[in-house]
Amino acid sequence: MLRYVVRRLLLIVPILFGVSILVFFWVRALPGSPISSLLGERATPQLVEQYRERYGFNEPVYKQYYKQLKSWGKADFGNSIATHRRVSEEIKQRFPATLELTIAAMIFAVGVGVPLGFFAAKRHGRLFDHASLFLSLIGISIPVFFLAIILKYVFAVRLHLLPTVGRIDVLIDTKHPTNFYLLDAIITRDWHTLWDVLKHLVLPAVALGSIPLAIVTRITRAAVLDVQNEDYVRTARAKGLPPRTVDTRHVLRNALLPISTIIGLQAGLLLSGAVLTETVFAFPGIGSWLRDAIFNRDYPVIQGGILFVALVFVLVNLIVDISYAIINPRIRYS
Amino acid sequence: MSVAEAEAREVRLDAPSGLWSEAWRRLRRNPGAIVGFVLVAAFVTVAIFAPLIATHGPREQNLSLLQGSCCPGPSGSHFFGVDALGRDLFSRVVYGARFSLLIGVVSVAVGLSVGLLIGAVAGYLGGWIDSILMRLMDIMLSIPGLLLAIGIVAALGPGLTQIMIAVGATQVPIFARLLRGSILATREADYVLAARAVGVKRRSILVSHILPNSLSPVIVQGTLALATAIIDVAGLGFLGLGPQDPSTPEWGTMLTDTTRYLQTAPFLALIPGAAIVVSVLGFNLIGDGLREALDPRFRGRA
Amino acid sequence: MRRIALKFGLVAAAFTGVLLVTLGLGGSSSARPTLIYAGAGDPTYLDPGLVSDGESFRVSEAIMEGLVFLKPGTTTVKPRLATKWSASRDGKTWTFWLRRGVKFHDGTAFNSSAVCANFNRWYNWRGAFQDASATYYYQAIYGGFKVNEVSGLSPPLFRSCTARGKYKAIVKLRRKSGTFLPSLVISSFAMQSPTAMKKYGADQGELRNGTFVPTGSYAFSHPTGTGPFRFKSWTVGQKVELTRSGNYWGTKAKIDRLIIRPIGTPTARLQALQNGEVNAYDLAAPQDVATIRANSKLKTITRSPFNVAYVTIHQGPGSVMNDLKVRQAVAHGLNRTQVVNQFYFGAGKLAQEFIPPSLPGWSSKVQKYAYNPTQSKALLNSSACKVPCKIDFWYPTSISRPYMPDPARNFQAFQASLEASGFSVTPHSAPWRPTYVAKVNDGTAGDLNLIGWSGDYGDPDNFVGTFFKSYSAQFGFQNPAIFKILTRAANETNAAKRIALYKQANEMLMKYLPGVPYAHSVSFIGAEKRVKNLIATPVGGTWFQYATVG
Repeated sequence: MLRYVVRRLLLIVPILFGVSILVFFWVRALPGSPISSLLGERATPQLVEQYRERYGFNEPVYKQYYKQLKSWGKADFGNSIATHRRVSEEIKQRFPATLELTIAAMIFAVGVGVPLGFFAAKRHGRLFDHASLFLSLIGISIPVFFLAIILKYVFAVRLHLLPTVGRIDVLIDTKHPTNFYLLDAIITRDWHTLWDVLKHLVLPAVALGSIPLAIVTRITRAAVLDVQNEDYVRTARAKGLPPRTVDTRHVLRNALLPISTIIGLQAGLLLSGAVLTETVFAFPGIGSWLRDAIFNRDYPVIQGGILFVALVFVLVNLIVDISYAIINPRIRYS
Repeated sequence: MSVAEAEAREVRLDAPSGLWSEAWRRLRRNPGAIVGFVLVAAFVTVAIFAPLIATHGPREQNLSLLQGSCCPGPSGSHFFGVDALGRDLFSRVVYGARFSLLIGVVSVAVGLSVGLLIGAVAGYLGGWIDSILMRLMDIMLSIPGLLLAIGIVAALGPGLTQIMIAVGATQVPIFARLLRGSILATREADYVLAARAVGVKRRSILVSHILPNSLSPVIVQGTLALATAIIDVAGLGFLGLGPQDPSTPEWGTMLTDTTRYLQTAPFLALIPGAAIVVSVLGFNLIGDGLREALDPRFRGRA
Repeated sequence: MRRIALKFGLVAAAFTGVLLVTLGLGGSSSARPTLIYAGAGDPTYLDPGLVSDGESFRVSEAIMEGLVFLKPGTTTVKPRLATKWSASRDGKTWTFWLRRGVKFHDGTAFNSSAVCANFNRWYNWRGAFQDASATYYYQAIYGGFKVNEVSGLSPPLFRSCTARGKYKAIVKLRRKSGTFLPSLVISSFAMQSPTAMKKYGADQGELRNGTFVPTGSYAFSHPTGTGPFRFKSWTVGQKVELTRSGNYWGTKAKIDRLIIRPIGTPTARLQALQNGEVNAYDLAAPQDVATIRANSKLKTITRSPFNVAYVTIHQGPGSVMNDLKVRQAVAHGLNRTQVVNQFYFGAGKLAQEFIPPSLPGWSSKVQKYAYNPTQSKALLNSSACKVPCKIDFWYPTSISRPYMPDPARNFQAFQASLEASGFSVTPHSAPWRPTYVAKVNDGTAGDLNLIGWSGDYGDPDNFVGTFFKSYSAQFGFQNPAIFKILTRAANETNAAKRIALYKQANEMLMKYLPGVPYAHSVSFIGAEKRVKNLIATPVGGTWFQYATVG
């Protein structure tokens, strides 16, 4: 087991290294050099030349990369061109927002998707099954941003039930020691704030959770269908165990395995979706930040942000794989 | 992107040969798949016969139709109303089918061909080439798909071709992994071992034995990838990375342009949105049906 | 394992519960003497000397004041911290009489030595502060510094500032300037507390990967001025909070708290207003104006036009645009009237020249070009570029400017009208920053491109002087007669003579056609009806001083 974990950990290094090279050269391939993005509307040819020299853009590329790698190694991603703040500082503020949002989306997806899939399988071939399958297909077929726009328009703008933008009511004055607003509110027992933060989370989480919801429903249904015909389930039934016990103890338990892998796979999907959802809801997370950075050619943010996201993604998959290996020892040796 | 990737896990990798006719029979009995085929057939028909179906030119402006802040809704002469430049929305949606189909097919073709090539090389040659190629795929997969696509479009500059390349690129690792896995699985199959034992060349084993048997998951995946490609293109359009010529009737761009009129003329956003959902749904239904039809587990059950 | 199932059940139930209860209770808004205002983004810094963007100025203008200001809602220069001023005959020595009994928020007295401390601070900036990313407006108006450390900086305009008694400050310039006084309204030249600046390190800063960054805490958490509001807090991405200054020298603010929050898109800002999450928001999209007005609880506040949208005509070696006939064909081929009437929702006025009508120097006698496809084609056929004349036309994406609310829409209409007038248009687009603006500035954005300008202060030099005082790669033409007259006008201190020169220049420009202006546009603030006396200033700011929330 330990060997497996170590091997997987070591595999992260080349991936991150590769991502760093990719990101470094990609930024240089973009039209509109870093310089003109620094100077913006005031770029004159003379100023551009000055800047090239001052910031070492005239040096050979490998030297520039080496320098860059050294500072990345120290978790120094530089300062954002747009906000002038340290990229690492911004990540500290924004990542908790995205994490809170993705977890909420995942809870929604699993909380609704697993029961839905389970009951669809139990009523295999009947109306409920077809309806849930069809619904989940529609869930996959709606562009996330379209759903987000519609949800926002209906529930916030028309019905005034929920807020349209942001993470928290601006009139609330509280400190956020961890930047996980829900956690902060729970720690300080500030139920009013907790309530407000939850309200801000509902629509983005539902929009973001729509695709994982569809996938979780389908996987659960398929897994339950699979497991239902296994010998041990038949045996359990034959033994005369009550159906509910069979369902929970045998069927659902074994069906949960494939579901748990899917959750890991959703990390990348959720981050992609977060770019769109956060943009629609002006949610101050990593997604909307990276989107803005790409549009403003905010190089330090693009580089630092993508490296960070890749790291998170790789780590999440690692955790999922390892826990999967713990649950199912066959994996380790294949 | 990642939807397809997740779906890939669902696809069974071992489809024995000779199941095509039976699969087809089962597919025809699957009501979902039939609905899918109808939707896709309608989509393709509209795309091909767009000039015959459309009532106006897709770029034909008539600014004098605009009233007040925006756009008059559906009427007898304009079935879906007119957009912010006085163009007939119905005709634009009809022509939009062309672009969506084209973008979808080309980007999947890009992703599929490059992915399959990489997957075949990695899976068949193995060794360090396999390791390097697969780590490369891991790197691509470790950047969220949409960000990768945005990045590629940002680097190549906006334009239809660039969008197709970008969306295709995000699908490369999915196909590469799929085919590699499938080859690894079939490589040890009895008939391949048998062919090798009688001295058939490596390349011809690959072409005539391994590839055909790895095909069914690829077909399923390809259908589902068409669906995600259309969605991804719309997402890129929404983020302002659509085609260069803003008058191009592309659904994603149309949707994006019109969300700012959501309050005054909601139909402008809802109609292209619905067109996207319906066509994507069609491909997803077919993909689903194909998967079930080709999956040996479901054999004889239908 | 029953527990897992149970857990899922609970989670699902909890989530559904949250959803239902939330739906039941919904958004609440309480009436407090607080005004919540939405802008498009966070400020860069709160030290106005070091920024050049509207989001920063919006906040700093509520905290700080300059010696003079534009009377709210107009482009007329009025006394503020200076009660009056005079210039010597040679235009090089300026005397300012200062308002008495004014204190900065930190208790420091406002007097002549505070004024000179501010002028000297700008003049003595060194190192990183001389970077264009730090002190754009200082460099635009005053040129260089006492010691120029960056090559390419011009010699400074400023010579010295002397305190003559407590309430009289004398500023000496090195040369005559017609723009010195009107430019003092720019927020970058607001008076800030010398004590606070020193205490919190306002003059500490460095360049970090190419960007100027203040390293003191002044620009982030201690901006100190004399204005009607004092700074309270700033949470990036969420809000800037100001409170009423109780010892303000003038009319004290009517609201206790002013919260300014960043919301990126006009649609999102509108929705936040409709949902009661903000009381007012800036930069409302013209297409939303009807929606706002149709809502019985909402209204719009108009900001009179102080901008120009125009089509650049790029000339250069081998360009078809070097031919005046082709330029005229472009002018007649752009259906400007229809674009302005249909796309600006009553907020736009057809522009016939490069400066807005509210500015001195605007001329009623410029050459006008009506949309006329037949004439365009005839002009083209008598030129070197016969019908169909192939041209490249650029427009920006991911941007909305007051003068250009929906660039792609303007572009498509122009594209169609040019094609009807004998041109064959190849469309190109790029994101606004940095690609598009850089390309326009470099003169690499095709034969034609969409661009515009919002005024910084009430002077014609800020418009035509910026564009046409000398050769620029954007327009790519050499016309010594035009360059000369605009330079003369900028240095002229006699108001009547200046106006005459600018009128003449505008008439020359519209004959020569370096580009085709098409719109001066009103911009809007969307607000709840209970918000009263919120004033929009033409240069893009908002006056919160008199505002009330009923």
